Amino acid sequence: MPIVTIDGHPISVEPDTLIIQAADRAGIEIPRFCYHPDLRPEGNCRMCLVHIKGFANLSPACTTPVTDDMVVNTAHQHDQVRQATKGVLEFLLINHPLDCPVCDQAGECSLQDFYLHPDYGLHPSDVDPPEKVRKRKALNLGPIYLDSERCVMCSRCVRFSNEVSGTGELQFVHRGNHVEIEAFEDRALRDPYAGNLADVCPVGALTSRDFRFKRRVWFLRHANSICAGCSTGCNVRIDYAENAIDRVVPRRNPAVNKSWMCDEGRLSYHNLQDLPRLESPLQRTEAGLQPVSWEEAMLLGQEGMRGPYGRVSAVVASAMATNETLWILRQCANSLPTPTEIDFRLQSINPDINAREDHLLRRLDKAPNSRGAMLLGAGAGRGIEAMAQSAEEGKVGVVVILHYPPLVGQDDNARLAAFQRLIRGAAFSVVLTNTVSGWWNGADVVLPVASWSEEEGTFTNFAGITQLTEAALTPPGEARPAWKALRDLLPVGSLSPRLATVEQIFDRGVAVISAFEGLHYATLASREATVYPPEGRKSYGQEGFAGR
Amino acid sequence: MDKKDSQVVDVSVQAMNLGTGVTGMAAGFAVTLKNMVRSVPGRNTVTIQYPEQRKPYSRRFRGVHALTVRPNGQLKCTACFLCATACPAECITIEASAVTDDAIEKVASRYEIDLSRCIFCGFCVDACPEEAIVMTREYDLATHDRMDELQYGISDLTDREEIQAYGAGYRPHMQYPLVESYLPTELPAKPQDDID
Repeated sequence: MPIVTIDGHPISVEPDTLIIQAADRAGIEIPRFCYHPDLRPEGNCRMCLVHIKGFANLSPACTTPVTDDMVVNTAHQHDQVRQATKGVLEFLLINHPLDCPVCDQAGECSLQDFYLHPDYGLHPSDVDPPEKVRKRKALNLGPIYLDSERCVMCSRCVRFSNEVSGTGELQFVHRGNHVEIEAFEDRALRDPYAGNLADVCPVGALTSRDFRFKRRVWFLRHANSICAGCSTGCNVRIDYAENAIDRVVPRRNPAVNKSWMCDEGRLSYHNLQDLPRLESPLQRTEAGLQPVSWEEAMLLGQEGMRGPYGRVSAVVASAMATNETLWILRQCANSLPTPTEIDFRLQSINPDINAREDHLLRRLDKAPNSRGAMLLGAGAGRGIEAMAQSAEEGKVGVVVILHYPPLVGQDDNARLAAFQRLIRGAAFSVVLTNTVSGWWNGADVVLPVASWSEEEGTFTNFAGITQLTEAALTPPGEARPAWKALRDLLPVGSLSPRLATVEQIFDRGVAVISAFEGLHYATLASREATVYPPEGRKSYGQEGFAGR
Repeated sequence: MDKKDSQVVDVSVQAMNLGTGVTGMAAGFAVTLKNMVRSVPGRNTVTIQYPEQRKPYSRRFRGVHALTVRPNGQLKCTACFLCATACPAECITIEASAVTDDAIEKVASRYEIDLSRCIFCGFCVDACPEEAIVMTREYDLATHDRMDELQYGISDLTDREEIQAYGAGYRPHMQYPLVESYLPTELPAKPQDDID
């Protein structure tokens, strides 16, 4: 393994590693605009110039692979590099409009950050604003706004649309001072991954229409989460403020989604915000469902579920639920005094969790935790349709239904119809859901539960990778995480010791099951946020990311 | 100091010392008398008949805020949120919206200052890069209602008569003539509410 010395720190890296990657690994900052870890290096912005001992000229760190005994000095240590970097930045800022007050990128902008760094910026500007070259501003390209004046010509967006999404919709036009990014005839982008363009853009040239003028980024709080839009399980960061999600952006995870996510998933939080949320427990009375307190609802639920009806019980799980909720739901099913069937599938056919929707990330299975539900044995029955059939024949006593509407696409009507048949045929029914809707009319107890982004837990993606999702928001009204509601429905003493946190459920419950053996919640929650199936563990799909 | 060591003073002995008592009293009353003579009406009177009479305030007085407008009447504010960021009382609420105007792009569609929380520190005015928010010399903010009447929106911060009547106060980029700022100026009295 070559050993390279950067700013006096010896770093041991694999052959063919680029200098900038070695520096990143050692935590040495090298400024860059055009380099992106998941795009091909191009070396056009000249911001990452470094001095290599024995080389006559400065070299770009993003295109130069390390060799053994290489001695590299960055702008922090080397005067010539500092001078060159300052010069590059000054050139990039010559025509910059300095409209930071109206620019959404302000606060997370590389130009701002580098200019305010004593090693790269803080030069006086010699160009009067009227002399600057004017270009087109606020050009609407569908999901993206283009602001040519702010562009630093790094070509990250061009490379993204050529190499990753493959639509090739952006290109440079004109020359010199007048060079601009352009979509052909200014047509709206039809790339289902266009949202990533705003993320790859290091400046405010490409900004998101969805996030436009919504909030200044320094007011945002962050939660590391997993997208619940499909079974791929892209790593995302939820940016929120005042208990509302403002945007969702991808987190880099080379094994699952690299640095990307699809627009469907990125905007799926709107579907959640649009749901009419259920905020209080309901109880069936003469005059229909009426709000009650949690305590009353729990007593009613416990009493009803104890009832010896001499019939079988049916428990409906959901692949939208976390592993912890599903594990508690299974304990719930086991604790019922009658033989119990549990399933999350409509028919007794296993869902095709791996089926791709396109060449990149999207999958046809629009639930984030189908794999987890299968591994936890929540798909062991004959399917919901068959359970509904039994209910109609009068064979079902207690019914427990856990249901969340999907974040991408619509609720399956066949599924809701089966729920209705189950509730009608059952002697006692408990529904746990997050949405006000019609199908649970006739249920005995309806409990409001927290949605994705409101509770922490783990999802297992199509390939069997278990990942942690953090809570960002507080659930509306009296809604609680489903695992809490289900735990309190269990007969007293059936769970010992009492499980008070998601971590305890995962470590003492989920991780005991062979498919999850060896995983610890604390490791999942660590900085890396992702734990892959350890060596030798069965992987259920092809590699997470195909790319091009 | 230990209790034993402390000096014991017999107060009754001091009270017997009539000389000290009389001089002390005389000195005190002399101050009273001097100020009584000073404040004979027409001379150096401190008390005024507020609210009919008003005192002049500094040109740099930090009173109620005002939002400035462009020549075409549009708000100067582009909703950059620097004022809301600087505000230590977190009393500024802004909502931004896009405009199609080429030169501006972004305006504040809602700008609210909760004056019941404002501490009149002037940081918002310092933070503003374009003097879109300044302070006036308006200071009498008593209301009959604590909540609604002290929520000032865009129209309250631009169109109210008092803004013109009291005049501009603190503006960080303005050079103030120091002497002039303390000279009394004629201030129109605030319109009086009917008191039931």
